[in-house]
Amino acid sequence: MKAKRIIAVFLIALMAIPMFASGSSEAKATAAGTPEDPVTIELWFGAAITEAGMIPDDWVGYEIIRNELGIDLKLSMLPSSESDQDMRIQATGAGNALPDIFMVRRPVLVNLVNQGLVAQVDDCFEKMPNRTALIYDDDAIRNATIDGHVYGFASPGAIAKNEGLLIRKDWLDNLGLEIPTTTDELLEVLRAFTFDDPDGNGLNDTYGYGAFVETDATLKGYPGSRLWPIMGAFGVEGLWCFDAPNQGLSIYKPEFYDFMVFLKGMCDEGIIDPNWLSYKKDDFRAAWKQGRFGVMYEQNAAYAAEANYAPFDSNFPDGEWVIIDAITGPDGHASIGAYDMNYRIYAVSQRAADAGKLDKICELLEWMSSDEGYYLLGWGQEGVNYVFDENGVPVAGDLGDNAYTGSKGQVYTQLRNLVFYNSDVELTSRYPTYTCAVSGKEMSALVALREMQSKKWTNAVGSSTLPTPSADVQRFYDQSLAEFLSGAKELTPENWAAFIDQFNKIGGEAWNAEGVAAMEADGLVRE
Amino acid sequence: MEKGQTTAVTAEKKKQKSKLSREIARHRSVYLLALIPMIYYIIFKYVPIWNAQIAFKDFKAVQGVVGSAWIGFENFKEFFNSFYFWSLLRNTIMYSVGKLLISLPLSILLAIAIYECTRPVLRKIVQTLAYLPHFLSWVIMYGILLTLLAPGDGVFNDILKMFGGNSIDFLSNTKAFPWVVLFSDAWKEMGWSAIIFIAALMGIDVSLFEAAMVEGANSWQRVRYITLPSILPVIVTVLILKLGTILDAGFNQIFMLYSPQVYSVADIIDTWVYRQGLLEFKFGLATAVGLFKGVFGMILVLFANWISKKVTESALF
Repeated sequence: MKAKRIIAVFLIALMAIPMFASGSSEAKATAAGTPEDPVTIELWFGAAITEAGMIPDDWVGYEIIRNELGIDLKLSMLPSSESDQDMRIQATGAGNALPDIFMVRRPVLVNLVNQGLVAQVDDCFEKMPNRTALIYDDDAIRNATIDGHVYGFASPGAIAKNEGLLIRKDWLDNLGLEIPTTTDELLEVLRAFTFDDPDGNGLNDTYGYGAFVETDATLKGYPGSRLWPIMGAFGVEGLWCFDAPNQGLSIYKPEFYDFMVFLKGMCDEGIIDPNWLSYKKDDFRAAWKQGRFGVMYEQNAAYAAEANYAPFDSNFPDGEWVIIDAITGPDGHASIGAYDMNYRIYAVSQRAADAGKLDKICELLEWMSSDEGYYLLGWGQEGVNYVFDENGVPVAGDLGDNAYTGSKGQVYTQLRNLVFYNSDVELTSRYPTYTCAVSGKEMSALVALREMQSKKWTNAVGSSTLPTPSADVQRFYDQSLAEFLSGAKELTPENWAAFIDQFNKIGGEAWNAEGVAAMEADGLVRE
Repeated sequence: MEKGQTTAVTAEKKKQKSKLSREIARHRSVYLLALIPMIYYIIFKYVPIWNAQIAFKDFKAVQGVVGSAWIGFENFKEFFNSFYFWSLLRNTIMYSVGKLLISLPLSILLAIAIYECTRPVLRKIVQTLAYLPHFLSWVIMYGILLTLLAPGDGVFNDILKMFGGNSIDFLSNTKAFPWVVLFSDAWKEMGWSAIIFIAALMGIDVSLFEAAMVEGANSWQRVRYITLPSILPVIVTVLILKLGTILDAGFNQIFMLYSPQVYSVADIIDTWVYRQGLLEFKFGLATAVGLFKGVFGMILVLFANWISKKVTESALF
């Protein structure tokens, strides 16, 4: 009996352990913040090159940061997928064990702020004058503002308007067709690409349009951004519409139904790659490199960067993609897509602020934007990982594998997203002009980017700050549209009205109202 | 007399204790081996039970498990009142029961086939090929399935088209998708699940088969009257244990394979919890659902055990 009692007490004591482990831990900064007694700052960052490894322990930056700032920097790389990142951050947050500073997406940041886990940083910008001038403009600060307070440092993420509508020019030439400018012309081209053997191989193995479902909860509503040029022809690109009097979810616009009818027609005719609903991003990218379809919406670097274009160049030395203007729809609408400013937010945990680390974190960020920090984090060590060309642009030169572009050198630039702000120097360095190995063509992802940016886009800046729906509403939205497209639900005006009605009932109307209120409060509605 | 009785009881206890100590000392290697899983279960299964209380709380990380406010059954109500609750429950049970009905008989058949195979080389090849998919992640499996089932150029659809049929988008068709889930799971796990049955088959007395052969029993009769009855207790045990996880329909598999087109037949409790609970920072809700699943599973296990004891006289406990 005694033994059983002891075991029972032991088990109960073990079960009670978490009581002492959660919710009450507060780290205290007792260090002096000198090289001899540095303050430890734990930073969870989003890697610049997800497929490359972690920054090595012998990175010279650790020593510089310790000696110059009195900071012992502990780095940890976040997972590459956004949902895995979200899970890791939120699970750590649930244990009240967030690192001192960490990258976080805005929807997750909102959750953490509601939990009181993130520190306000309103007063930090004046402590980082150089970095604030370079990176934190009003839009950036607004992106990390929740209920009137700033809860993070938002720095520019992916370049805006960096995607475009591309068409196989060689296929057009083979079939004697012109570049389409209207939806009717587009349909003709897609039909010809599907049924008229545009590559001349004698096989029925091509399709007109290629895509995959790329969505998010703030900007890219179902069926996603890869269909934006077609949605743009109907004026329903982007999840939210900011133009009065139609401000609100684009799904409420009558033209959304017209777009659905158009897209359903493409599916029924078989002129869109039927795999598009099953493809993941990598499958889609493998498919266009294999010559499977002739029209697509793609990102500049994914299309034109040397490593990405090489397989297509090898498979089709005579193949040629060209970036075209937005397609004009029946009512005169035309847009390549909707753009928002993309930011990477770095938030400071309340634990770190309580431990008095906020000033040291500001010091660290300000140093990162100094010349020394900028080049070290962006390109590595001069002479080891990069050299300056005659225009003052860092280039790989003949540094081989140790260059910032090489397999050994690239790991030293994993923190570059903390300092880059899409300056001309960065873009020129990131997207150099090159000659294709097989076809001998001259290519540049930067030229592609500039051309894509010059097309007609729809301003949707502020989308990322709008509310996101509950999981049930999100599922209903996505599932219903998908079922209309797959034919599981017949696409008729009556069924569409019934869908909108049910959508409103389960929370869509409230989501829309909340979004419109947020738009109006932030002055995002355009008259 | 009373004192004498007490002394006798104490002496008996000491004797038992010393007997237990001797037994432990004698089989110390076995006890040491058992210690490792016991420690695992204590740390990772029993200790976290404490945190299950957040199922009844409005969990705030800064307030911790103990400090968060009690809210009764609100988290459970949110789950039960979800717009998709019945659809989630239906899909979850459909996949769990379906996997049980398809995978279990296939595993038994495979085990018997491997056991009955008289060519050692062939047996080893089949065994290895059957185990192999178990070690592939669902990410890899998705790639393989896409190659096989894609509507444009998937192998299955190429065959369908060759015979004049129309292609089917297996991964985004609500009628085909459940079968893809069930059979891909069977393909992946059949070999691994067969191990336990092969082990049970190895334990059958060979003389039974010899006697049956002398009596003129053919292969099918040997399987029917010797093999299957001999491994019945193992089948019952596996079945009862599987019932305990009836509401675990395979998160990784569904999460990789599903898409909005097939949400109506693909969304299960775990994928909903992932979206609504974990990604929305509703850990109380996620815990409530976990607790519900655990209690539901336990009731099923107890019930199945009771039925099994009544009907087959073979039970887990």
